Amino acid sequence: MSSSWLDRNFKWVTTLPAVLFVIVMMAFPILYTVRLSLYDWGLSALVPPRWVGLQNYTDLLTSARFWNAVMNTFYFSTLALAFQLILGVAIALLLHRKNTRIAKTIFLMPMVATPVAMGLVWVLLFQPTNGVLNQILVSIGLKPLAWLGSVHTVIPSLVIVDVWEWTPMITLIVLAGLSTLPQEPFESAVVDGASSWQKLWYITLPMLRPTILVAVMLRLIDVLKTFDIIYATTQGGPGTSSETLNILGYVLAFQYYKFGSASALLVVFFTIVLGFTLLMIGLRKKLGRSA
Amino acid sequence: MKIKTVKNLSLSLATTAVILIFVFPILWMVFSSFKSQVDIQSARLFSFHPTVQNYVRVFAEYNFLKYIVNSFIVAVGSTLAALALGLPAAYSIARFRMNGLGLTILVARIIPGITFLIPWFVIFNELRLVDTYVALILSHMLVGLPYIIWIMIPFFESLSEEIEEAGFIDGCTRLEVFLAIVLPISLPGIITSSIMSIIFSWNNFLFSLILAGERTKTLPIAVFSFISYSEINWGGLMAAATIITLPIVIIALLGQKYIVDGMAAGAVKG
Amino acid sequence: MRGLAKTIKTLIGMALIVSLLAACGGGGSGGNGSTSSGAGSSASSGGQASSGGNGSSENNAKPAQPFKGQRLVVYMANHPWVELIKSYLPEFEEETGIEVDIQNFADDQLSQKVSVQLTTRAATPDLFMMRPLQEARQFLRNGFIEPMNSYIENDEEYDFGDFSKSAVDGTVVDGQVTAIPIIADQHIMYYRKDLLENAGLSVPQTIEELGEAIKALHDEKNGVYGFVARGQRSLLVPQVSSYVFSEGGDFMADGKAAVNTPEAIRGFKYYADWLREYGPPGVLNMSWPEAMGLFTQGKAAFFTDASSLFSNAIDKEKSVVADSVGFALFPEGSHGRRPYNIAAWGMSLNANAKNKEAAMEFIKWATSKEIMTRTQTEGVPGVRESVWANPETTSKFPAELVEVLKKSQEIGVGHDRPQVIAVGEARDIIGAIVQKAILGEDIQAAADQANEEFQALIDREAQS
Repeated sequence: MSSSWLDRNFKWVTTLPAVLFVIVMMAFPILYTVRLSLYDWGLSALVPPRWVGLQNYTDLLTSARFWNAVMNTFYFSTLALAFQLILGVAIALLLHRKNTRIAKTIFLMPMVATPVAMGLVWVLLFQPTNGVLNQILVSIGLKPLAWLGSVHTVIPSLVIVDVWEWTPMITLIVLAGLSTLPQEPFESAVVDGASSWQKLWYITLPMLRPTILVAVMLRLIDVLKTFDIIYATTQGGPGTSSETLNILGYVLAFQYYKFGSASALLVVFFTIVLGFTLLMIGLRKKLGRSA
Repeated sequence: MKIKTVKNLSLSLATTAVILIFVFPILWMVFSSFKSQVDIQSARLFSFHPTVQNYVRVFAEYNFLKYIVNSFIVAVGSTLAALALGLPAAYSIARFRMNGLGLTILVARIIPGITFLIPWFVIFNELRLVDTYVALILSHMLVGLPYIIWIMIPFFESLSEEIEEAGFIDGCTRLEVFLAIVLPISLPGIITSSIMSIIFSWNNFLFSLILAGERTKTLPIAVFSFISYSEINWGGLMAAATIITLPIVIIALLGQKYIVDGMAAGAVKG
Repeated sequence: MRGLAKTIKTLIGMALIVSLLAACGGGGSGGNGSTSSGAGSSASSGGQASSGGNGSSENNAKPAQPFKGQRLVVYMANHPWVELIKSYLPEFEEETGIEVDIQNFADDQLSQKVSVQLTTRAATPDLFMMRPLQEARQFLRNGFIEPMNSYIENDEEYDFGDFSKSAVDGTVVDGQVTAIPIIADQHIMYYRKDLLENAGLSVPQTIEELGEAIKALHDEKNGVYGFVARGQRSLLVPQVSSYVFSEGGDFMADGKAAVNTPEAIRGFKYYADWLREYGPPGVLNMSWPEAMGLFTQGKAAFFTDASSLFSNAIDKEKSVVADSVGFALFPEGSHGRRPYNIAAWGMSLNANAKNKEAAMEFIKWATSKEIMTRTQTEGVPGVRESVWANPETTSKFPAELVEVLKKSQEIGVGHDRPQVIAVGEARDIIGAIVQKAILGEDIQAAADQANEEFQALIDREAQS
C-alpha cells in the first residue's frame, strides 16, 4: 500500500502532542521565574516587584548558606544514588530469579506509601531515646546514634530513608527490562559453558545498560530535587546541616517571603540539574545503545 | 542437585530478608494504625492493645471516600492521558532518534515543583479551573508524562526492527504496526511506567494543595488533617496512610499479572 | 496478542470516558458549600432561630436572613476550635442565610495556600486563619488583609474591648486590627508530680530553683531526663522567649536588635545549658511532638512549652503519665515572671473579598461572647476576659491548669518572637544562638553574630 499522510508524518504526529503539552505547561512558569529572579519581591499584592538586576544572583553565589546547600545536595545525592543503584540492580536480579508476584508487589510499597506519613514514621524510628533503630543497635551491642538529631549523622540518616523509598523504583524498572531480554544470548552462553557470574557480567548487565542508565538518570534528577522526606523530618535542620537547594528554595519563598531570591536560586538549581541531565544523556549516547 | 537446592534456599532466604527489611517501616505503619497514641509513641513494635478506633474515626469524621475517589480519578486520568500522549512519542523518539524532543520533555521533570505554584494558580484561576479535575489531571500529567516516555524509550529501542519490518511487508501502516505489534510486546514497560505515573500522582501533594479545593481534595492533603496546631493524631494518620497505600498495592498486584501474561505472549517473538 | 490489544483499547476507552465524565462533573457537582467533616452540613432553609445582624432578640418568626444567598469561603487550621465552629455552623446559616464553606489545612499548608492565592488578589478565601505574631505584619504589608477597625468599633454588642489586651496586642499593627484573636496560648511549666514527691521537692518557683530541680531529678541511667524542650532552630525561639523576658531581656529594644545583651544571653543560656546537660539526645531536631512525646512517655521531669498542648499530657490514650502531670506557672527570673501570653491564632479578612459585610458577620458570630463561651466550655482556651471570668467555661480544664492560665494571662507578655516583618528569617537567626550553645560553642560569640545579622535584617526592613 502506498504510504499515507500519516505514515509520512508519523514521527511528528506522534511526538508533537506530548512536546506541545509540555511546552505549554512549562513555558509560563519558567519565564515567570526567570523574570522574577531579576526582581525583589515579597509576594505582595500591592507593592510591585522591584528591579534589582543580577543582584539576587550575586547575593546568592556569595552566600555561605547557598554553598552549604550545594554541598548538602551533592553529598546527599551521591550517597543516595550510589546505594540505590547497587542495591536496586542487585535486588532486581534476585527477584527476577524468584519471580514471585507477591514479593515484587510488596517491594513496591516504600514508593507507594504516603511521604508525609512515612516521614513521621521514620522520625519515630530514628528517635534516639526510644526509637526502634537504636533499640536494635543496643541489643546487638552497639552504641545508640543520634540519627536525625546530629549534624554529622543527619544526612546519612536521610540517605537511608531515600534509599529505602526509591530502591524499589530502580528495581522495578530493571525488572521490567530483565523480563524483555531476548533469550538467545543466554541460551548460546549456556551452550558455550558460561558460568552464572559470567552470564551476569558479560550478557545481562551490558544488555541492561540502557535501562539502568535511564533509571539512574530519572533518579538523579529526582534525588537532587528531594524535598518531601527532608521537609517531613528535619526541615533542613539541625541548623542548616540537611538543608538542600530545594529546601532552601522553599524556605526563601514561603518562610522568608523573598521570592526574587528564591527564583534566582531555582534558576541556578535548574541549570545545575540540567547540566547533569545533559551529561547523562551524552553518556547514554556513548554507552547506552543496546548491543 | 544438592547444590541447586542450597542455591535455591539461599536465594529464598536472601529474598525474604530483603523484603522484610524494606517492608519493616510499612509494617510499623500498619501496626501503628491499630494502636492508641501512647503505644505508637513508645516505638515498640509488638506489645500493644489493638484497637480499630483509628479506622472508625477516619471514615466517620473525615470524608475519606470522597478523597479516595478524587485521587483515583486524577491518578488514572492523568496516567491514561499521559499514556495516550507518551507512548507514541516515546516510540518515535526511540525509533527516529529524536533526542532534542526527548530532552525537552525531560526538562519538565527537572524544574522544581514550587516553580509552578504561583504561575499555575494564576492561569488556572483565570480559566476558572481551580478545584476541577481538569487542572489536577493536567498538572499531574506533567509529572507522569516524562516518566512514561523515558521509561519506554529503552524498551522501544531494544525491540528488534525485524518484527516491525515483517509487519510492513505484510502491508501494515506504521500506526497499525505500532498498535498491534509494538505495544503488546512492550506491555511490561507500559505497566511499569503506568504504575510509576499513578504512584507519583497518588502521592502528589504540592500541586494538589494549590489547585484543588474542597470538591477535588486528594488524599495526601487529607493526611495532613491529622496534624494540627496542638495535636498529632498519630493513630488516625497511620490509619489514613494505610488506607491510602492499599489501592495502589491492589493496582500493582493486578498490574503484575499483566506483566507475567505479557511475558508469555512476548516470548513468541524472535 | 490481538486479544490483549483489544482489551487494552477497551480499557483505555472506558477509562477515558470515565475521566471525561469526571472532568465535566467535577466543575459543578459535589456538595456546594458543604463543610468537610461529617458534623457540619450545608445551608438549610429557615427555622426558629433568632434574627441575624447585631440584634439578638428571640422571636419565633422566620429569621430575617439579611444576607440570604451569599456564600463565604473560609480557610482554617486544624484545631478543635474549628471542629466546634463547624458543628455550630447550621445555627449561623439559619440566622443569616449565609452559606459557609470551611476548609481546613495544617499550619504551613494554610500559610502557603493563602499566600499563593492572595498574592494574585484572588477573592477566595473571604476569611482565613493566620498566626498574628508570625504573619500579621507580612500579610498586612502584602495587601492580603483588610483592617477591621471600622467593622468593630462602636459595636457594643460585640464588645471588642472584652478581648484580653495581650491577645489584641499581637494582632494590632500600627493601629490596624489585622485579625480577630481567637485562641490564646501561654508559656507554662509541665512537671511530674510523682518524681517531685519522691524526691521531696516542691514545685520550683524561680528559674534557679527549676535548674536545681532539673539537676536533682535527672536520672539518665533510669531513662529520665531532667528537662526536655523544643530544640529545632526556628521552633525553639518562642519557647526560649519567656526565659529571656524573665531575665529582663527581649529580642529588640527601642527598635534595635538586642539578642546579645547580658539579660538575653542569661535567658538563652539557661535553656541551652539545661538541654545540653540534662536533655535527651537528638534534641536539636525536636519540635513539640517529639518533646511532648518524650514527656508523655515518662522520660522527662520538666517540660516548658505552650499551654495549648495540655491535652496531650493528661489524656490516657496519649500519655503514660497522665495521672502524674502537674501544671505550674512559668518560673520567676531575676526580672519577675514574664511568660508569653499570645494570640496564637486570629481570623483575618481578605482585602479582595467580595462579601466583606457577610464575612464580618461570620467572624463576629464565631468570636461572640456566646460562641466563645460555648467553645471555651468545650475546652478551647479563648481570649475574652468576660468568658474567663465565668467559672462554667473552665470546668473542662484541669483545675490546676485553670489557675495557671488565668494568672499567666494577667502577667503575660504579648509576643513570643521578634516583632519584625520577616519573622521566619529572624527566628532562624536567633534560634541559631541556642543551637550553637547546645552544641557547646561560645554563646557570647553566637549571640554577637546573631545580633549583627538580626540588626541587618531590621535595617533592611526600615529601608524598604
